[in-house]
Amino acid sequence: MPVAPSPTRPDPIAGALAADRLGAPSVVYFVLSAAAPLTVVAGVVTTAYAVTGITGLPVAFLAVGAVLAVFAVGYVAMARHMANAGAFYTYISRGLGRPAGIAAAWVALIAYNALQVGLYGAFGAAATPLVERWTGVSPPWWLLSLVAWALVSVLGVMRIDVNGRLLAVLLTAEVAVILLFDVADVAGPAPAGLSLETLSPGALFVPGVGALLITATLGFVGFESAVVFSEESRDPRRTVPTATYASIAIIAGLYALSAWAMTVATGPAHIVEAARRDGAETIFVIAATQLGSAVVDIARTLFVTSLFAAMISFHNTTARYFFALGRERVLPAVFGRTRPRTGAPKAGSIAQSVLGFLVIVGYAVLGLDPLVQLFFYGGTFGGFGVLLLVFATSIAVIAFFSREPSGEDVWRRLAAPVPAAAALAVMVVLAVINFPTVLGVPEGDPLAWILPSVYGVAAVVGVVWAMVLRSGQPAVYSRVGLGAKAATVHDLAR
Amino acid sequence: MLADDFFLVAWDTTGTGKPRLYLQGLTLGLAGALIGELVLENRLTVSGTRLQLLDRLPLRESVADATLADIANSPQHTDVRTWLAYLAQRSLDDVTGRLLTVGLLECVTPKLLKHKQNRYFATEFGPAVWPSTRLRLSLVRRQPLNPYDMLLAALVDACGMTDTVVEDPDHRPTAHRYLAAVLAAMPQPLRDLSRHVSAAVGDAVLTYRT
Repeated sequence: MPVAPSPTRPDPIAGALAADRLGAPSVVYFVLSAAAPLTVVAGVVTTAYAVTGITGLPVAFLAVGAVLAVFAVGYVAMARHMANAGAFYTYISRGLGRPAGIAAAWVALIAYNALQVGLYGAFGAAATPLVERWTGVSPPWWLLSLVAWALVSVLGVMRIDVNGRLLAVLLTAEVAVILLFDVADVAGPAPAGLSLETLSPGALFVPGVGALLITATLGFVGFESAVVFSEESRDPRRTVPTATYASIAIIAGLYALSAWAMTVATGPAHIVEAARRDGAETIFVIAATQLGSAVVDIARTLFVTSLFAAMISFHNTTARYFFALGRERVLPAVFGRTRPRTGAPKAGSIAQSVLGFLVIVGYAVLGLDPLVQLFFYGGTFGGFGVLLLVFATSIAVIAFFSREPSGEDVWRRLAAPVPAAAALAVMVVLAVINFPTVLGVPEGDPLAWILPSVYGVAAVVGVVWAMVLRSGQPAVYSRVGLGAKAATVHDLAR
Repeated sequence: MLADDFFLVAWDTTGTGKPRLYLQGLTLGLAGALIGELVLENRLTVSGTRLQLLDRLPLRESVADATLADIANSPQHTDVRTWLAYLAQRSLDDVTGRLLTVGLLECVTPKLLKHKQNRYFATEFGPAVWPSTRLRLSLVRRQPLNPYDMLLAALVDACGMTDTVVEDPDHRPTAHRYLAAVLAAMPQPLRDLSRHVSAAVGDAVLTYRT
């Protein structure tokens, strides 16, 4: 006879399912390992100093971290009420309607592709000196990038992700090296001493601050992904928020500290000059004076493995993005299929690889710089896209809770989301105004308005496409924002 | 039974002895088939996201009856996705166990690397290839399907294996068109069940980690 479940009797089903669930530390590890900290510290931060020529990056990481933490209050609260707590566009679709959702999906697709493709440039630039030291031969950067590209393409279609344990070991090693470098930098300050100039809020009130904000946002990309694990976490109400806040705090603290430590070692007045001279080697050159060449060589190797892990991670993220949109039929259905043997989202993976190949070859033919014009432009362009998505999501959170309070308190519905949205709006405006500084080009350079307007065009095309879908294929339209769960929606009548 | 047929479609028992489908998709598809067996026998039904018990009468088959007993003993869990996730944990062992017992399968355990996947080989060729042959012929020749084969086709499709069954690329457009019509005409409980399997498989792709 069936026995009525009682609180004292353990639930065998819930127990069996909880056995392999994730706790907050595991989720933080997933989030951070995809963010590849050494890629940001050794690649993004130094290049940002070189390209923008301004030094307020350390305080910018803290400021953006604070804004994102306030934003996350409403974001994780809304995640609890979503059937499909996935990417930003699902929130935008739910909060602001499906046309906005489709527009956001296209913006996101462009942004993530840009982030991924940019990494190929950094890999080429960072691996060239290593190969040169080991073999004495100095290959062109694009050759190494193409080797990495080929590996990533094959691994992507075969669905061989970097093993979670290996990623965790790499992440730990990266963070250890970053902290070691920070200690070394701070222990051997330039004549300016332990200057706090770059950490003072005053460093934000300079022309071109928008460039710092975009760069800092780029460092945080991936913080949003903790919600993806809500169905697999031990206690979604606690695990996901804890992991999200912890990720933001760790990223903000680590990057602000490292960006500041570099300026201590060179002196705030000389960091730009050093970064322009040494490029991807900057942090290694700075640290070499304190740490000796063995440690620095280990760090250089870790930088390359960090980039490689980031490439695979972003490649898979992008391929899954294609997959989710294919499942909803927002993209052709072929993107929603997988390779049976491996479960790899094949079409999305191939599409990403084709784009990467074209970009690498294009840059090689045109003789453009892999670090600045591919990695940094791609990264900041993608980072700007993510900033737009975060901003739109912050509005969506407010709109969603104003319609459906869902039992959340006023702090989560309004008191945190509204200031977050306001701050993000300011960041977007500053970013657009200061785009020439992001790219390091003079005011009025066409690139500085072409790049941001790509997202505008994508959004407009997305809205038009939404209208086409609504009138032509209402069943498809009704599924937008559901991701893989689109399969469970019957038809428009429901 | 349905899960046996799904296994024989998804596992290359006449060649390499290895799965044709990645493990997560395979175990979810098998879990869907285990529920499907009970739905086809009117012990359970699926309505929207809910799995409901209709009849506790055993089928006199140990795996199906164990599944039925589990579901009957935990009435607080009605979400189809919960049951798919739960059954997926043991569906491979359950179904291969059943096929080993009736002597249709042989298991070869790898000698060197113990953690590697067991290989399964069919003892007879005909019964082993019949489920996928039957599906292919029905889909390509546009023959009517009974509810059992409709659900098998739907689960195979939910796991992205239709093109594996219809090997000839020239036949695929016909097969896909006919399959769409079949899926649309399926009884509601079967349609809802296969849609949940499809969504669970898709979510597994999106949250894949090693």
